[in-house]
Amino acid sequence: MRYADFTPYDIILLLQGLGVTLALFVGTTLIGLFLGLLLAIVHHYRIPGCRPVIVVVTEALKNSPVLVQLFLVFFGIPAFLHIRMTPVEAATLTISLNTAAFAFVVFRSGIESIDRDQIEAAKVFGLGRSQILRLVIAPQAAAFAVGPLVGILVNQLQVTSLISVIGVFDLTKIGNILNLRTLQPFIVWAVIGLIYYLAAKALAHAGGRIEAALRKSVKWGGI
Amino acid sequence: MRFWRVIEPYIGFLLQGFALTVVACLLAIAGAVLLGALTASMRSSGNGLVRGIANAYGDVFRNVPFLVQLFFFFYGLPELGIYIGALETGIIAMSIAGGAFVSDVILSGILTVDAGVIDAAKVSGLSRFKIFTRIVLPIAMRVSVRPMGSVLINLVLTSSILSTITVNELTGAAKIVAATTFKPFEVYAVLLVLYASLTTLLSFAISAVHHRLNRFMTGG
Amino acid sequence: MIVAENVEKRFRDVEVLKRVNLRVEPGEVVTILGASGSGKSTLIRCINGLETLSGGKITVDGHDVSTKAGLVAARRASATVFQLFNLYPHMTALQNITLAPVEVLKLPKTDAEARARALLDRVGLSAQADAYPQQLSGGQRQRVGICRALAMQPRYLLLDEVTSALDPEMTGDVLRILAALAAEGTTMVFVTHEIEFARHISSRIVFLEQGELIVDLPTAKFFAEDGGLAVPRIRQFLSKMKKD
Repeated sequence: MRYADFTPYDIILLLQGLGVTLALFVGTTLIGLFLGLLLAIVHHYRIPGCRPVIVVVTEALKNSPVLVQLFLVFFGIPAFLHIRMTPVEAATLTISLNTAAFAFVVFRSGIESIDRDQIEAAKVFGLGRSQILRLVIAPQAAAFAVGPLVGILVNQLQVTSLISVIGVFDLTKIGNILNLRTLQPFIVWAVIGLIYYLAAKALAHAGGRIEAALRKSVKWGGI
Repeated sequence: MRFWRVIEPYIGFLLQGFALTVVACLLAIAGAVLLGALTASMRSSGNGLVRGIANAYGDVFRNVPFLVQLFFFFYGLPELGIYIGALETGIIAMSIAGGAFVSDVILSGILTVDAGVIDAAKVSGLSRFKIFTRIVLPIAMRVSVRPMGSVLINLVLTSSILSTITVNELTGAAKIVAATTFKPFEVYAVLLVLYASLTTLLSFAISAVHHRLNRFMTGG
Repeated sequence: MIVAENVEKRFRDVEVLKRVNLRVEPGEVVTILGASGSGKSTLIRCINGLETLSGGKITVDGHDVSTKAGLVAARRASATVFQLFNLYPHMTALQNITLAPVEVLKLPKTDAEARARALLDRVGLSAQADAYPQQLSGGQRQRVGICRALAMQPRYLLLDEVTSALDPEMTGDVLRILAALAAEGTTMVFVTHEIEFARHISSRIVFLEQGELIVDLPTAKFFAEDGGLAVPRIRQFLSKMKKD
C-alpha cells in the first residue's frame, strides 16, 4: 500500500470533519438565531442609540465577505486587543454574528407584521394583547419566518466551509488533507461536495417539514 | 488616523488587487449570464433530458460550498491535463457557480413574459430565435435586473475566496499587507468597510438601472 | 383566398370547432359572430397557426398552415390584431411597428420607419411614435396594434375581438379606422360583438354555435326575416346583444 492511497481510516477522518462542520453549524445557528432575535427586539423597542448601530453593523456583516470577517476576527482582534483566540473560537464568533445579521432581518419583519396585525386584531376582537400575541400572531409569524430562515441556514452551512481557511479541521479541511496526501483531487472534492450537498438537502427537507407542521398547527389553532 | 497610516504606503498595491477583483467579477458575471441564459433556456425546453441536465446543474452548484467547487477545479483540472492560471480557474468557477443562480433569475423572468406578446411575435413571422432574442430575453432581462444585481453582489463577495487559491485580488493583496505590516486589525477592518461600501454602491447602481430600464414597463 | 375545410379543434376532450368550412375571397369582409365560447377566436387562431388543427385543413393563398413552410407563407400573407393588443412592452410604438418589417420583410430600417410613421399619422398617433405602450391609452394601444399589422402589408387582416377591451369612446376610434380600411377593399376576417358595425362593413356574416358553423350568409340576407333571423338561435343571440 502506498502512502498516497485511500485507507479505511479516511472514512473516520471524513466523519470527524463532518462532525466538526455540523457541530459548528448547529452551535453558530443557535447563537445566531438567538442573537438575531435579541437584536430585532432591541431594534423594535427603540432603545436610544441602538437602532443605527444595529442597522450599520448588520448591513456591514451582510455586505462584506465572510472570509474577510474571519480574518478580522482571527488575525485582527487578537493583535488589536492582545488576546489569544483559537480558530474554533474565531469561527464560532464570526459565523454566529453573520447568521445573526441575516436572521435579524427576518425577525425584524416578523415583529413588524406581528405589531401591525396585533393592533388590528385587538381592534376587531377586543381581546387582550398578550392573548392575541400568544394564540394567533406569534404562531403565524413563526410559520412565515421558517421559510426564509431555512434559506439562510442552507446558505450558512455552505459558509462554514470557509473556517477551514483559518485552520479549523472541518469537512473542507479534511478535503485539503486528503487532497494533498492522495493527489486525487477529483475524487476527494467530489466526495466532499457530495457530503455537503446531502447535508444541505437534508436541512432543506427538515425545514420544509417544520414549516408545513407549523402552518398546519396555525390553521388548527386559529380563531 | 491610525487606519490610514497603516494602509497608505500600500494603496497602490491594494488598488492592483482591487483591479483584479473588478476584472474577475466582470468576466465572471459575463460568464454567469451566458451560462445562466443557456441553462434557463434548457430548463424551459420541452425535452425532459435537457431539462433534467440543466436542473441538476443548478441544484448541485447551489448546494455545494463555493470553496469546495473552487478546490475541485483548481486541483482537479491539472489532473485532466488542463493547465490554466489560478485567476482563470477562479473566473471559471465563479461563472459556473454564478450561472446556477442566474439561470433561476432568467427563468423566472422568462415565465413573466405575457403569452399574448409571444403570440403577436409569432404571427408576425419572426423566427423562434428572433422571438427569443428580440422579445423574450429583453423583457426577461428587464424584470431580472434586481435579482441579477443580488447575484452580482454575491459574486463580488465570493471573489474574496479566490485568495485561497493564490489569486492576489483585493483580499489576497490585503492578506499580504496584513502580514507585512503586522497590523491585521487595521487592514482587515478597512477591507471590510471597503467591500461593504462597494456592494452598497453597487446596489444603488442596480436600483438606478432597474428604474431606468423599467420606467415605461410598470405592470409589464 | 383563405379556405378552411372540415376544421376540427379539440382541447383534451372538449370539441371547440366541429367540421367548420369557410372561404374568404380577396376583397371580402367576413364577420364571425357567436356567443362567447362558440369557438370564434379559436378559428382565428387556427388560421394564423397559433393553434394546431385536430382535423381538417386550412390554406391561405394555397399555403397549408399545418406545414412548416406553408405556415411561414401564410403568416406572410396575413396579419393579426389582438383583443388585448399584445404590444411589445419594451419597445416604443414605432419600434413595435418596424420590428417585423425589418426582421421578416428585410425592409431597410429607414423605409420601415417611414412606413410606420405614415401609418401612425393615418390613425392620428404621429405624436406618440416614441411612446411606450404603458404610456398609451387602450384605444391608442389598439391603434398601434392595427398599424403593426398593416405595416406587414398583409393580404388578409385577422381581427380578434379588437374592441372588446376598450370603452365605447375608444371603440369608436378603432372602428372608424377599420371602416376606412374596409372601404379601401382590405380583406378582413372579423371576430366581434359589435353587431351594428358588422352589419355596416361586412360583405358576409357567419354564425358559430358551440363550435359549429351553422349559418354563412351575405350581410343583408343574414339580417333578413327570411334569412338569418329565421334561425331561432340567431334571433335570440341578436336580441340579447341589442339588450346589452
